[in-house]
Amino acid sequence: MATDLVPEVAPPAAKVSRRAPAPKRRRRTRPLWQDLLRYRWLYLLLLPGLVYFLVFKYLPMYGLSIAFKDYVPFLGYSGSEWVGLKHFQELFTGPDFGRLMGNTMLLALLTIVFVFPAPIVVALLLNELRVNVVKRSVQSLIYIPHFLSWTIVASLTYLLFSVDFGVIANWIHGLVGGQKTDYVAQADWFRPLIVAQLLWKQTGWGTIIYLAALAGVDSQLYEAARVDGAGRWRQFWHITLPSIAPTVVIMAILTSGNLLDSGFEQIWLMTTSLNRDVADVFDTFVYSIGITQGAFSYATAVGLFKGLVGVVLIFGSNFLAKRLGQRGLF
Amino acid sequence: MTIISRGSVALAASLTLLAVAGCSGGSDDKGQATDELTVMAPLFGTAPDPGGELQQAVEKLIGKKLKVTWVPNAEYGDKSNVTLASDKLPDVMVTNEKGSSFVKAAEAGAFWDLTGKLDKYPNLKPANEQIAKNSTTNGKTYGIYRVRPLLRSGIVIRKDWLAKVGLKEPRTVDELRAVAKAFTEQDPDGNGKKDTYGLIIPKWPGGYSSASPYDVIETWFGAPNAWGERDGKLVPGFDTPEFLAANKWLRGWVQEGLVNPDFATLDTGNWNNPFVQGKGGMIIDVNVRATQLLDLFKEKSPKDFDKVTLVGNLERSDGKKFSYPFTGYNMVMAISKQRIRTEEQLDQVLQTLDKLQSKEGSVLLTNGIEGRNFKVEGEFAVPINQDDPKVKTIQNDVDKGFIQLGTRASVGMGAYRLKPADEASRAMRDKFDVLMNEDLKTAVFNPAQGVLAPTATAKSQTLDTIIPDARIKYLSGAITEDQLKEQIKRWYDAGGTQVAQEVNDLVAKVGG
Repeated sequence: MATDLVPEVAPPAAKVSRRAPAPKRRRRTRPLWQDLLRYRWLYLLLLPGLVYFLVFKYLPMYGLSIAFKDYVPFLGYSGSEWVGLKHFQELFTGPDFGRLMGNTMLLALLTIVFVFPAPIVVALLLNELRVNVVKRSVQSLIYIPHFLSWTIVASLTYLLFSVDFGVIANWIHGLVGGQKTDYVAQADWFRPLIVAQLLWKQTGWGTIIYLAALAGVDSQLYEAARVDGAGRWRQFWHITLPSIAPTVVIMAILTSGNLLDSGFEQIWLMTTSLNRDVADVFDTFVYSIGITQGAFSYATAVGLFKGLVGVVLIFGSNFLAKRLGQRGLF
Repeated sequence: MTIISRGSVALAASLTLLAVAGCSGGSDDKGQATDELTVMAPLFGTAPDPGGELQQAVEKLIGKKLKVTWVPNAEYGDKSNVTLASDKLPDVMVTNEKGSSFVKAAEAGAFWDLTGKLDKYPNLKPANEQIAKNSTTNGKTYGIYRVRPLLRSGIVIRKDWLAKVGLKEPRTVDELRAVAKAFTEQDPDGNGKKDTYGLIIPKWPGGYSSASPYDVIETWFGAPNAWGERDGKLVPGFDTPEFLAANKWLRGWVQEGLVNPDFATLDTGNWNNPFVQGKGGMIIDVNVRATQLLDLFKEKSPKDFDKVTLVGNLERSDGKKFSYPFTGYNMVMAISKQRIRTEEQLDQVLQTLDKLQSKEGSVLLTNGIEGRNFKVEGEFAVPINQDDPKVKTIQNDVDKGFIQLGTRASVGMGAYRLKPADEASRAMRDKFDVLMNEDLKTAVFNPAQGVLAPTATAKSQTLDTIIPDARIKYLSGAITEDQLKEQIKRWYDAGGTQVAQEVNDLVAKVGG
């Protein structure tokens, strides 16, 4: 943490590097406490962040130990009996694991294929817009859904797609005819609805970072390309796309770590008896067994497993990005 | 150097602070339990004012300060589990005595085993042996049961629609089907369009055997209530031909459009809407829904609201009748050992609760303060001064909160019965008791109500959803009868076989 943060927030580092290399070498041999003394204010600024991570991220990890115990709250963390890997064994050999893994992975895959590229495409399209007013207003409009909670989004979906009174459902029925389809209850429509909700809610918000990246592209590059006779398409292909590639890669790596976070609220609200087989994912499972049924140890074990997969995915995609010649995250 | 030490001091200080804050919540002084009683209970609206008139009256009666944590009913289960996981248990907790996290905590010694301890206290001593037995967990009494009427199931029907289609109140399942068909096809609302359906069913939040409309219908067909004896052994109710027959019958309803098409997704909170809006004509639920709906119609059109009638449990086609009873209680009040450590302290708490459940206390909890928000008229309580905002607060505190603390008198069984506001409501209320006493004669009780199979607790996350989900899928037509049977087999394979064995053993040991 400390070594990462210092060069980022410390302008003196830049000054130092512009000078002769001699002081650099001297710096390297200086003991740590002198560094601490020299950049004391920066370290002081770092402290709240450090304390935050310690108190809210690292200390609670002590609680992970209950994944290896039969935790009974009354007996406490230390009083509960150690059971080793029993809960993990139960998870991997239990009847639910295959279904949970399959559902979670499939949703993750759909997210990568449909939801992840959407903001990039929209940002690129927005970038091509000439009239600033249109661009701004479109941008603002597509941000709005991000600020609605999932509860609202789910209620809207029910209102629009319910088989009894859904406006859109009835409209489609009027167009297509035949038997009424129960979009919100049927298993076949669960995943399309989830993806559609994600697209509607998050695409606009996701464009922000890509628009920022696009704004940072040196306009001289475009001018030079135009002078060389490159058309709109060529400019896009050879300048715009390479310029935002690093951002896309970073976003991809960050997303990969959260792939197994299927968005608990959204899925929980959209689950019915008819679609539970395709809707159950690790997040909802952990909630049901941990909070609803009070099997804290088992729930923690499942959560820990999910976390480990996340770590593997982050390192994996980072490694992959480097292999493909891009700058990784770390 | 100075910076380092300053920094580490700050860090150490903040950590210590945190540690202190963490500790102070849990271990309270032993002596404190004597003059204050902490309680956790469900809430059905606005939380009572801790300094309000009613709370003061209750505190005066029991001679102790009362600190109630009111938790909205919808999240009561979750909040209970989180509370059980924390180190801040209240002295007295309203809890589901068969919830897996509660049982685990109780077995680890977090709660007092009250078996045989309640007889000393006249107002805590079980008034009904059967209910007392129902509220035990494998032979142990972990709490004082909160009484409820023993039979509340019924069918609420649109009275004016019945008259319109020219049918009388159904007495058998076949007559019920005829009514549903007429409600769907004979345009009971008279708007010239075929836009109504017979029965309204919501997305049921509970599992198998949780007093859902499905459970009630299955009982009419002769299926056991949760568990029943077949060939000398207890089997789960869904593993019987009667269960399949009932659902096959209801599946026909769904196919013919006699049930609301969104029965798999309709929120229970919106259950009344299609009834009041005139889309559907029947609801199978607890009898109090009839008065609820009557009140809603009254709100809509105060002059012409007598549109609701209530029918009890129905006869099967062959004339045999099986009624769905309730357990006679709803959750128990358990006493935690965290602050109530010794037998003497337990005795004190029980004495306090005994005062709370006395006749005087029951009146406070279920009716309010006599002369302030109600007056007594024979066996009835008549609301008074309801326009006074202070009195309104008392009434709210009673209805939404304090009534939940009653174990002797409680919801549906107040110390004084509320005097109905109009003739229709009075007739409806009177019907409750008539129907209940009639149906109790044919009630099918759950012989395994008092037991809890360890495997059912351990594997509940896998087992609990299999049957209710399969049932809905079968009803909606998503799976066939053979696939439904496969799901029942899946339940057995996923641990159900063990559950059945344990239930049989436990019932043999402790008796249902």
